[in-house]
Amino acid sequence: MFLQISEIVKLNFKLEWRKKQSVLAILLYVLTTTYLCFLVFNGSIEKETWNSLYWVVLIFAAIQAAFRSFQNEADRRFLLYFGMVKPQALILGKIIYNFIYLSVIGLFTFLLFLFFMGTEIEDPLAFIVLILLACSGFAAILTFVSGISAKAGDNPALPAILSIPLLFPQVISLSSISIRALTGFSWEINGPIILVLMLLTLVTVLLSYVLFAYLWRD
Amino acid sequence: MKRHWWKALGVIIIFYTIIQGFLGEVPHYFILNETIRNMYFHVTMWFAMIILMLASVIYSVKHLSSGSRISDLKAKELALTGVVLSIAGLLTGSLWAKYTWGAFWVNDAKLNGAAVTFLIYLAYFILRNSVEDEQKKGRLAAVYNIFAFVMMIVFLGILPRMTDSLHPGNGGNPGFDQYDLDARMQMVFRPAVIGWTLIAVWVTTLKIRYHQLLWKKEEMNDELEN
Repeated sequence: MFLQISEIVKLNFKLEWRKKQSVLAILLYVLTTTYLCFLVFNGSIEKETWNSLYWVVLIFAAIQAAFRSFQNEADRRFLLYFGMVKPQALILGKIIYNFIYLSVIGLFTFLLFLFFMGTEIEDPLAFIVLILLACSGFAAILTFVSGISAKAGDNPALPAILSIPLLFPQVISLSSISIRALTGFSWEINGPIILVLMLLTLVTVLLSYVLFAYLWRD
Repeated sequence: MKRHWWKALGVIIIFYTIIQGFLGEVPHYFILNETIRNMYFHVTMWFAMIILMLASVIYSVKHLSSGSRISDLKAKELALTGVVLSIAGLLTGSLWAKYTWGAFWVNDAKLNGAAVTFLIYLAYFILRNSVEDEQKKGRLAAVYNIFAFVMMIVFLGILPRMTDSLHPGNGGNPGFDQYDLDARMQMVFRPAVIGWTLIAVWVTTLKIRYHQLLWKKEEMNDELEN
């Protein structure tokens, strides 16, 4: 099981490395959107705006990034995998891979935001921890929903409408505490919310683990 | 008649709650005043909706384990009636909010929960309609229904308790359970939840029977053609 998971993660990295333009496309997407925000706000930006813009940009980039995760598999490779790996191993491997992938995008977006709209950040470490937490939760939800929408066919709006409402609980709690990372963060006060975020991620991973087998069989 | 008693019960309870809800005694409180009666019509919608959505998820689980066409139909129709109830809940709620909070929509944990529920179930129907194959449609919809329901429960059940809400009973606002005439209101409120649920289930069974008749008609047409 663990061997299969690590093989899937490795395989995904290999495939990604082979066609680098898809990663570069997402990074460029983030760069253009960030610059767009910079242009629209014309340099003057409050901490609250900085915070909410960051999450909006990250969510849309994450949706773009994660929804490619089953595109190749939907028709041809699904059949190839069928006899080789357990569905549980496949979904866990994909979630781990997407977590790493989204974390890179999240940190890159963070650096871009600092560069273009540099606000003084009181507690950068706390903000980075929150980004990683967010990416784990996003990866769990988006990987699973991308499995559904890959199976459902080519409706371009489907990924966004299926996943954005499911991301609401995470995003609301995240943005409400990440603003405190900009203004001064206390681990004791925000501990419970961080715990809730971790539990949310755990619940989504468990759900994907159980339900993916049903998506998988055709 | 033996099998249909619950429909009559539903109608009687609804009549009772409407008459008692408008004419009965209610406690008079600052700001809330007579709008407290909305509890019989607004809060009951959400209770009935949650019950229907729960039933829908149970049928989705059944569909995944057995693959039967009828449990998929039941899951879909229950969710559809649930969405109608949630629209009723949104309308009664925002009308009430206009007169007590001064705005149709505010940023509140429970309102976000309501919005998310509404959006999730609309997405569920879009997902259903974008798949052609009948079996695949049922399975994808069932999987999404289960996933979404759990997230919705998290949203409605856990998050509002962590943040303040403008709703009575949250964030320092007096709750209904503190009111003296609470027992009298409960005499209307509790039956109302049951009544609306029964009516909603009745409507759903009608729609399920209608779809079953359509299936039968298709089968007969196929037989005639052969």
